Amino acid sequence: MSTQHSKKAAAFLKNQEYTAWHDATFWGVRVGRDNMAMGLEEWEQLRQKASEIKLHTLSHLDKYLEQFAGNAAKNGVKVHWAADADEFNSIVLDILTGSGVKKMVKSKSMLTEECGMNPYLEAHGIEVVETDLGERILQLKGQAPSHIVMPAIHLSHHDVGELFEQKGISEGKGNHDPTYLTYRARLSLRKEFLSAGAGMTGANFGIASTGEIVVCTNEGNADMSTSIPKLQISAIGLEKIIPDYDSLAVFQRMLCRSGTGQPTTSYTSFFRKARCADGEFHIILVDNGRTQWLQNPAHWELLKCIRCGSCMNTCPVYRRSGGYSYSYFIPGPIGINLGMLRSPEEHQGNLSACTLCGSCQCVCPVKIDLADQIYAWRQEWPAAGKKLICSVMNAVYKNEGIYRNFTGIAHLANILPAPWLPFYLRFPRKPFHSLAHDEL
Amino acid sequence: MSSKEEILGKCRTQQDYPMPRLDDIAAVKYPDPLTQFVAMSAAVGGKVVELQPGKDINHLLRSLFPEAVNIASNLPEISLANRNPDTVGSAAELDGTDLGVVRGEIGVAENGCIWVPQTMKERAVCFISENLVILLPKEAIVNNMHEAMKRIRVGDYGYGCFISGPSTTADIAQVLVMGAQAARSLTVVLLP
Repeated sequence: MSTQHSKKAAAFLKNQEYTAWHDATFWGVRVGRDNMAMGLEEWEQLRQKASEIKLHTLSHLDKYLEQFAGNAAKNGVKVHWAADADEFNSIVLDILTGSGVKKMVKSKSMLTEECGMNPYLEAHGIEVVETDLGERILQLKGQAPSHIVMPAIHLSHHDVGELFEQKGISEGKGNHDPTYLTYRARLSLRKEFLSAGAGMTGANFGIASTGEIVVCTNEGNADMSTSIPKLQISAIGLEKIIPDYDSLAVFQRMLCRSGTGQPTTSYTSFFRKARCADGEFHIILVDNGRTQWLQNPAHWELLKCIRCGSCMNTCPVYRRSGGYSYSYFIPGPIGINLGMLRSPEEHQGNLSACTLCGSCQCVCPVKIDLADQIYAWRQEWPAAGKKLICSVMNAVYKNEGIYRNFTGIAHLANILPAPWLPFYLRFPRKPFHSLAHDEL
Repeated sequence: MSSKEEILGKCRTQQDYPMPRLDDIAAVKYPDPLTQFVAMSAAVGGKVVELQPGKDINHLLRSLFPEAVNIASNLPEISLANRNPDTVGSAAELDGTDLGVVRGEIGVAENGCIWVPQTMKERAVCFISENLVILLPKEAIVNNMHEAMKRIRVGDYGYGCFISGPSTTADIAQVLVMGAQAARSLTVVLLP
């Protein structure tokens, strides 16, 4: 039975050369992760601790959120609470219009992607400039990320080179060298940093004991975005709160090692106060479904995720089908699961994008049982057709009389044309159990 | 009911997982943390130079960056500096800085991170400079992030950053490039 994922994956696989590159690239990242993990004797201990800290924090989230918000307020930060995407978007718009901001630079945030913030702000006349290089490329191209950490991985340097020529970022034509293109983007983004009225970041962690936001980047774009404008807005999902610096040490050590195979990101930035006396710092705590997921007895542990991306890097299906084959904006094993939490009707097609090999849960730094969760979703959410087949089989096999009669007349269905009966499916003239082996 | 009350109400669960001990983590330690720090700094694309006792830091910086024209620092010992992040009119005035010089407080052997709390009015100097130099006392190296997190202090400016190597990206075709949006090179000067 084909699903939306399998159909899109089939299209992805048509370009064999690119598929091989995609597969090998992510396998390379996975190998990098392994080298990092094996380089630390305490790795498995860290995973256990990371999982336990998250379980503890999530099971006392109300207490930690209050502590976080209280400490942030003491630091002079304006804390906002957004129940859903709409409320989040309107809070951001109010802050910006209140300060007369026309242009905002921002670093990477999957949360703003989740809430559809950029199109909303742009519809209200505010220019939003992505400053993570990958995100900027996608913004210029009008595309969505295909990976949560390496968003523009589906584009080649020629694609980017042509895009930059088209947008006037490159000088002249034909130079598609990544170093040159990165430099041209640097010059172009520098102008944006200098002319923006506000800077926005996401958050990798919120520290309850200090009320700080911690952001990890390699490019330093979160720091550039917030060091020049006087207004800073940081968006954080509720589940990103952790107790204190000791907990942060555990996660900081694992995030980048798991995600990209580096020992650390280049920048691990702690934002506690507004940048200057006449500046403002707003933190927006976003629910948008998270409290509801927290109450889901079978799947609440998915909220432990720190968005490192290691589950998709290792996933044999992701590596060979690409981020755009999934219907949810986060792909891979964690995306399959989060999509099911968000809207099972819409995203159950992604459940087919899993071989249950379990590789994801072996690398997950916070020990989410991602593949087991997908298995569980499959039991909970059979597609309508599968549900019908299962209930008919259940009735037939439970009752010998029905079974004999049913399998005895099943061959009458052979006259049905496709698509009612696929060409490869033909029913025998006697009950299944009395078929000889060679008849099967 | 405000969103805050509603959200907090919905966060209350019947689960009760204890906070794990973290003081029993058998974190990596090195026989010589300084050697490991130097090796890691190189691995992340940074450079480490040692200031010999009795030598002038300005001479060293000039020899390392002979072509630097605009040099920004608020450190009194950096007489080369011709821009001061404490007194510039705005952060944007630091654009075009060839060399920024700041002080780091803690170096981390396991990953080359250096704790740089904001100690200047315009922290942009740490990012906007083409080349960044961090002065770090040689004895300020710890083994790992657990040790570092116990020591860091975010000062009155309300900002601090662990910096490890220059600004990097691999967003174009997974090719590693130094110098994305922030400093294109990082040099750590170890002070005696």
